[in-house]
This record gives sequence, structure tokens and C-alpha cells, in this order.
Amino acid sequence: MSESAADVKKESSKLDPSKFLSEIIGNAVTVKLHNGVEYLGKLQSIDGYMNIVLDETKEVINGNIGRTYGDVFLRGNNGKYLQYLKLPF
Amino acid sequence: MSNTDVDGNPQEPFDLVRYQLDELVLVKLRGAREMKGRLQGYDSHCNMVLSDAVEYIYDLGEEVNSNPTVKKSEMVFVRGDSVILINPIN
Amino acid sequence: MLFFSFFKTLVDQEVTVELKNDIEIKGTLKSVDQYLNLKLDNISGINETKYPHLSAIKNLFIRGSTVRYVHMDPRSVDCTLLQDASRRGKFLFLFITMASYSLPRDKKVRRTNYITEAVAQSSK
Repeated sequence: MSESAADVKKESSKLDPSKFLSEIIGNAVTVKLHNGVEYLGKLQSIDGYMNIVLDETKEVINGNIGRTYGDVFLRGNNGKYLQYLKLPF
Repeated sequence: MSNTDVDGNPQEPFDLVRYQLDELVLVKLRGAREMKGRLQGYDSHCNMVLSDAVEYIYDLGEEVNSNPTVKKSEMVFVRGDSVILINPIN
Repeated sequence: MLFFSFFKTLVDQEVTVELKNDIEIKGTLKSVDQYLNLKLDNISGINETKYPHLSAIKNLFIRGSTVRYVHMDPRSVDCTLLQDASRRGKFLFLFITMASYSLPRDKKVRRTNYITEAVAQSSK
């Protein structure tokens, strides 16, 4: 997946949001929720409601890494933003 | 949106939840609450029914302190709008 | 829709509803609609020490969106059916909803049988 990461970056400016999201499947992302908690993990899947599944997830509360989860399903309405990281996973 | 997993099978977020039917899940809820239980049913709003559920209520949003109030319920319906995340417990 | 049908199978059963403002209400479920609004009868045990003014209430209507949990007797839930229905998604519950609409209100014992039948029909 990491070899496509550079392509994604180059092209992401002209992609529509949902295309962008499906292009970055398998890459490292952070998802910030409205309650301020962040989840760092590998993006496994996402749907039209912005429900998200992350793999190998770390919970980050005020900058401190808290619990880790194997898989985690995040309910779409709680998300503030999803950030695509250039980290290879 | 049709994403695919490693084997090329189409995948969407709710697949993860479906795989957990009759298995244990940890559900993080609004109001600094968590609920562990066996998933008996769910829908697309994340409404859920859990059996043999244990609820953990933490103080003031800070989950770092480790003495939550614990409540048990044999069968409980959880309204989806309180749900923040669902985590499979293996 | 799934949980609308689910709650219809719990009509006339005793449930405890916990609201998002922490009030707990125990009573008999009398009806439910598509928003999961609930009507309860024979209300008892609303945290009496905390809310003494609520103790006079005998029956009430609860707006679905204010509900956090509904606790119920595990014996009144058919877990296999519920799991199966969740796996199949929307289609099945169209059947179940139709099946339970066509039921006479007082024949609640037969309701679960009806639903099982709906499952069987939909998997044909």
C-alpha cells in the first residue's frame, strides 16, 4: 500500500472526497472525534455515513496514548475529521 | 462505496459489527460510559441488544482513574445515538 | 425497522427504561412506534428519593431520542432470531413487521411464532 501513497498525495487535490477516502484505504490515519479523542490506526473501511473501521488502533487522549484496540468501529456522527498520514503501515 | 479486504472481498464498516454477533463487544458510549456484553442484534443506527452486559460508568469524562461504577444487566437495548465506538473482544 | 419489530415483540412485558438524564423508569411496555417512542403503563420505581414528584405518574409516553437503555427480561428475547435478523438486514424485517401488524393484539403469545414463520418464509 505504501508505494501508492505518493500517488495518492499527488492526485488527492483533484479527487472528490469519497474517492480520496477509498484511495487511502490501508494507510495510516488519525480520526479526531468531537469529544477531542483521537484514534490512530490503519484505515480498513469507511461508508457513506462516515462510519469508519480502523485496524491496530491507538487511542490518543489529550496527546497521551491510552488504550490500544485490534479493530475498532467508529460511529460516523462522532467524527470531526480524518487525517491521512504519510506513515507507511 | 465498495472497498475490498486483503482477499478482494467487498468490505464495509458494518461487516466488523456483523462478525461480532453472538460474540463479546466493548461499546464506548457518550457520558463516559462503556458497556461490555454479547452482541445479540444491531441495526444501521448502531442500536444494539447486548446480553450479560456490564456497564462501566467513569467520573467526569476522565477514564484514566480506574474505579468506575459497575452495573450489570442480563439483556439490554442500547440506543445507537449514544454509541461512540464498537470494539470486538476476542 | 429491526428494533421497531423487536420492541413490538416486547409489548405487555415489564421493561426498565434508562433515560439520558439518568432517570430510570420501570413499567409495562404498552406500545412503540417507528421512532422507538415508548408508552409505558403501571409505572413503578422512578428513583423515588431523587424525583419524588414523579412518583404519582401511572403511565407515560417517552420520546425515543431521550432513551439511553432499555433493560428487559432475557427470557422474553429470542436471541437466535435477533442475531439472524441482524445478519439479514432490512429485508427480513419487512416480513416481520408485516407479520406482527396482521396479529390480533391479544394473541401476543403467538407473536414469536409468527416472527419465526416470517424468518422461514424469507429464507425460502
